[in-house]
Amino acid sequence: MTETETRLREYESDLVVESYDVVAEDVVALTLVNPDGQALPAWTPGAHIDLVLTPEITRQYSLCSSPADAHRFTVGILNAPNSRGGSAFVHEKVSVGSTIRIRGPRNHFPLVASPRYVFIAGGIGITPMIPMIAEAEAAGADWTLLYGGRSEASMAYIDVLRAYGERVTLLPGNDVALMSAALDERIGTPRPDTLVYTCGPEGLLGAVEARCATWPSGSLHLERFAAKATEGAVDSEFQVVLARTGITITVPDDKTIFRAAEDNGVSVLGSCHEGICGTCETVIIDVDGEVDHRDSVLNAEEQASNETMMICVSRCRSGSITLDL
Amino acid sequence: MTRSMPTDCWYAPAASSEVDRDLLPVRAAGLPVVLYRTGAGDVVALEDRCAHRAYPLSSGALIGDTVQCGLCGFVYGTDGRCVSVPSQPNVPYGAAVASYPTREADGLVWVWLGEPGRSALHRIPDLPWLADAGWSTVSGEEDVLASFLLLHENFADVTQVPFIAPEIAPAVLGATPPPLDVVVSETSVSLHRDFPPAPLPAWQAEIVGSPLDTPYRTEQSGFFPSPAVWVDHWDAQAEDGTWVRLRFTHLVTPIDESSSRLLWAVSRDFALGNRAVDQYLDGIFTDYYDRVIDAMEIAQEVLEIDGPGPEVNVNADAVGLKIREIVSALLTAEGA
Repeated sequence: MTETETRLREYESDLVVESYDVVAEDVVALTLVNPDGQALPAWTPGAHIDLVLTPEITRQYSLCSSPADAHRFTVGILNAPNSRGGSAFVHEKVSVGSTIRIRGPRNHFPLVASPRYVFIAGGIGITPMIPMIAEAEAAGADWTLLYGGRSEASMAYIDVLRAYGERVTLLPGNDVALMSAALDERIGTPRPDTLVYTCGPEGLLGAVEARCATWPSGSLHLERFAAKATEGAVDSEFQVVLARTGITITVPDDKTIFRAAEDNGVSVLGSCHEGICGTCETVIIDVDGEVDHRDSVLNAEEQASNETMMICVSRCRSGSITLDL
Repeated sequence: MTRSMPTDCWYAPAASSEVDRDLLPVRAAGLPVVLYRTGAGDVVALEDRCAHRAYPLSSGALIGDTVQCGLCGFVYGTDGRCVSVPSQPNVPYGAAVASYPTREADGLVWVWLGEPGRSALHRIPDLPWLADAGWSTVSGEEDVLASFLLLHENFADVTQVPFIAPEIAPAVLGATPPPLDVVVSETSVSLHRDFPPAPLPAWQAEIVGSPLDTPYRTEQSGFFPSPAVWVDHWDAQAEDGTWVRLRFTHLVTPIDESSSRLLWAVSRDFALGNRAVDQYLDGIFTDYYDRVIDAMEIAQEVLEIDGPGPEVNVNADAVGLKIREIVSALLTAEGA
């Protein structure tokens, strides 16, 4: 047989804004549908999609609609004052009837079945929790939600959540001491058969991570939407063996593995190019050297295991690495 | 041992026509299930094991809408709860078998074996050609001594057909294959190829009634919407613009770790309702699927005897590898 060229890509489609709802101060919920009426790809709670807003601006947003709805994707978008352009674009340029290209869905924050959950959300970090909570409720799990924010007016989906009664605790006012006490009470001591899910600003994620350090491994699930700082990282040249393709390539100090693979005609999946979306996760077959993990998707344990890496940012400090590409 | 079969999935272990006013035993995702239809026509799926002692309910009797165990006489309602026992007036506490959510669509019975509350959050793939008047279908069923994953990997492997069944493969497969487009999302994967004009395979040209050398350009698509289904589309267009379309539907239900139920269906939008064509296609594809099944059973045997040794992947394996990834993520999310 002659060679079969394989081109790999994620699902992409131009969707139309069906509704544009202000669901809290500075928070807009966009509901997107396929103009040709075709079903959208299935997804599970915790999944996110890319909104390709301009050729330069692609941003990730958690889906907060129901996975049972085959025809709609809803995302909640905060107009952040320090936005890098994504949310400002949506708030200023998008309205009902606008066309937006989406990519995905993908999920690096999946809801693992458990008899008990502790959900902890800060601000716009509530969005992935909405379908998670619906699923936990449908499965008959025991769950609680701690939801902090600047003020009640700024916190999206409060009405939906209030309907769940005392499972939900709202902490408006950005009161760090109150939040800290609530975290101590919820997760200060490891609890059996319980999973912790958290999404929100870095300060909250750090506080949850610190408290979950004594929990059994795998108890904490968190999602970051901003890249972790990588200070003092040095980029040097190294070799990558592309196992499937059967070639060895050089990754120069000024290029990522992702770009070097593309330059060599290899079709690879990728999206954010800053180590936060997880699209380019690649299996490491062999390492001769030291992998320099720079992503914000894998936790410390996963990075140390060297089973996979995000080739859009992570590198090799020296020597060579063999990847399943 | 960790499970290898997802339960958070709608499986189609039987066609609607097979489920009637009698007890039909099937196995799905390692669980024994008995299917039947109520007087009102609704499909019921119960755990096929009496709560009293080890005995399949399917070996008992359907009495009205209830099932009576053939060994001890316990009677169960459609919700799985025991409603009467012969030896005492009261039903023992907790006497019940599992009752699984069911749905009927496109001429198939779909059963949900996972947490019942989660069934509404998962979709059943649309397979309209199986029940639509614009299509004719021939089909067959087989228990296969190979895991459901091995079957999917085979269906997803576009390079295998010319080796397993060279005479039924479209001529275009033998020529330089066009690029393979693979599209992935969180829980699904699809492939697509556009072949340049070439003659139809002899069997298809004969049915369509076109000369053997008439060129058709062909679009092939393959879809993995869930672990229960693999679908292939082969759509061929003649130079005069007419289309002839084929749909190959594979309903895969894991029976246990190493065997599966395969319900295959070949649907066409030409020669509709022609019984002779049905018979002809039935012969060709029964033979084809027998060969696929033989190959998969041999592969399963190798895996069982020698274990899952190291495997070399090529770029064209992207689809099969993504299926493995999706199944593994499903199992992780189920806590399996």
